[in-house]
Amino acid sequence: MTVRGQLTRRNLVLAAVVVVLLALPSLATAFFVNFVMTQTLILGLAAATIVFLAKYAGMTSLAQFLLFGVAGFMFGNAALEAGARGLNLGWDAWAAVGFAIVVTTVVAFVLGAIASRTTGIYFLMLTLVYAVIGYFVFAQIVEISGPGGITSIQRPELLGPPVRLYYAGLLLSVLAYLGFRSLGRTAFGLALQGVRDDPIRMASLGFNVALHRTLAFTLAGFVVGLGGLLNVWWNGQIDPASISIGPTLILLIIAVIGGISSFEGAWLGAFVYVLVFTYLRDLPLIDRIGITEARFNTVIGVIVLAIMVLSPEGLTGIIHRLRGRLERPAAAAADTSTGGPLPLRKTEKEFGGTRP
Amino acid sequence: MAHTSAAQSEPSGSAPVIEVRMVTVAFGGLLALRGVDLDIMPGERLAVIGPNGAGKSTLFNVIAGDIAPTAGKVAVKGQDCTYRPSRHRPRLGVARTYQKARTFDGLTVRDNIYLALAGHARRHRALWRSSVDARMRSTAANVAETVWLAGQLDHPAGQLAHGQKRQLELGMAIATGPDVMLLDEPASGLSRGERERLIEVLESLAPEVTLLLIEHDMDVAFRIAQRVVVMADGETVTAGSPAQVQKDTNVHRIYLGTEATA
Repeated sequence: MTVRGQLTRRNLVLAAVVVVLLALPSLATAFFVNFVMTQTLILGLAAATIVFLAKYAGMTSLAQFLLFGVAGFMFGNAALEAGARGLNLGWDAWAAVGFAIVVTTVVAFVLGAIASRTTGIYFLMLTLVYAVIGYFVFAQIVEISGPGGITSIQRPELLGPPVRLYYAGLLLSVLAYLGFRSLGRTAFGLALQGVRDDPIRMASLGFNVALHRTLAFTLAGFVVGLGGLLNVWWNGQIDPASISIGPTLILLIIAVIGGISSFEGAWLGAFVYVLVFTYLRDLPLIDRIGITEARFNTVIGVIVLAIMVLSPEGLTGIIHRLRGRLERPAAAAADTSTGGPLPLRKTEKEFGGTRP
Repeated sequence: MAHTSAAQSEPSGSAPVIEVRMVTVAFGGLLALRGVDLDIMPGERLAVIGPNGAGKSTLFNVIAGDIAPTAGKVAVKGQDCTYRPSRHRPRLGVARTYQKARTFDGLTVRDNIYLALAGHARRHRALWRSSVDARMRSTAANVAETVWLAGQLDHPAGQLAHGQKRQLELGMAIATGPDVMLLDEPASGLSRGERERLIEVLESLAPEVTLLLIEHDMDVAFRIAQRVVVMADGETVTAGSPAQVQKDTNVHRIYLGTEATA
């Protein structure tokens, strides 16, 4: 695509958002940057892998949070020195990073290969099983999860100050976003979409459908592993409870809030989730109507319910619709002069994830 | 059955491009195919006809690799393909279409044809665009023109009308320049004009391209085919030139259902 072709309004808005995010540490409070936004970027990165699998390959995965945790645990085991919990391998931080990413990617490859012959609800169920098994593996094999989790995990010196972790999250998010988006136009990305639309047809065209699904799952595992590393550096600790079914579902909920077929939606959903999680208790009088911290999940549940009913395309879908509504009156006014029969201008219709 | 041998083609010098030997397919207790033999010679235009339930589609799916036979053997260009999955067929120069158009509805017409080319070229694991990639994309445009879809090149396949989807199906099969094309009822649901176009495209194929079509539409089958095989009850009943088959009393009986009273 030409440079001019890239200059769509959407891309300009996204570029502006990135510029604002780059300048954010000098605009907002340290708490907002290092707590709210860093967490948003980490969860957004993880949720983007769910979107990637769902949008391109038609696979809704519940195993992403497990892989997120695998990367965190592996880093903790490899990087901590004797005396700490876990395996205490005491490696150099970057060697531990490499180890964590390699293990996560290999685990993703194996899990993906096993799941590659299932689709739809069966794939969803199988990845849910992965999440449950993964949780018990870490909960019961305390040698690799330290009794009660691995604590006092230090991040590499390069990422020492919290704001650097924010920038690392931003960099990886931008790379993942651009990477996933451009992947859709590559031979591999198109083949994945073909697998999503009609796997039998793809096989008869000569494609190895199972291999494509496996590779997609592996790639998603690699990216979510990077997110898992950021997460363990941000938290400073990881325990089996943090990859149980609850957090697993939350990641899917984030993807649904944002819109499961849009990459922007992953970060948008994460932002809304973190905002609600962080600021809900601060709203004036909120506890008077019975919404206390304990009811946090109820609020998220209501938000998800509202989005499912009002806009299955999530917040991104709502934004698209609002934009359409703002543009339509202007377009209609411009049309009156032509007076042709049935003026049809810029008519858009969405069918599920397809936007002609 | 005595008629089975009638399906064998006359002896000729070259080896058959597709060999079906004593293929039997059982779905539970139902025998969809009962020991079918069929040889298809290079460049032959063969139509398989027969009433509903005759086993045409099952035979087709066995040849295409979608169904593994219960017994018997299928070979393509001398290679035993009986239990090889369908994805190995394109490498042997075999392309197929489906009775109900199976296009990738979320992708554009161009990308649909592009995928057909990419699958054939086995370049689908390439992550990055290359000159080969660019060439495949331009070939896609040429193919779209052949099947009258040049104007729809960048439309999502899901928005095409039924007839256009069938044209796209055909385009995806033609795109790779196959030696053997398997067409599953290519004329079903087409208007008269669309059918004429289909015949025109099929007649314009290079003479060395082998065609196997399953057809309900006698008009199309008899115009395209040099040889017609008639199936009934999972067996090949008779075979011959279109003119011979049209005169065959057996065929009349099968289609008009007078066999029972005879």
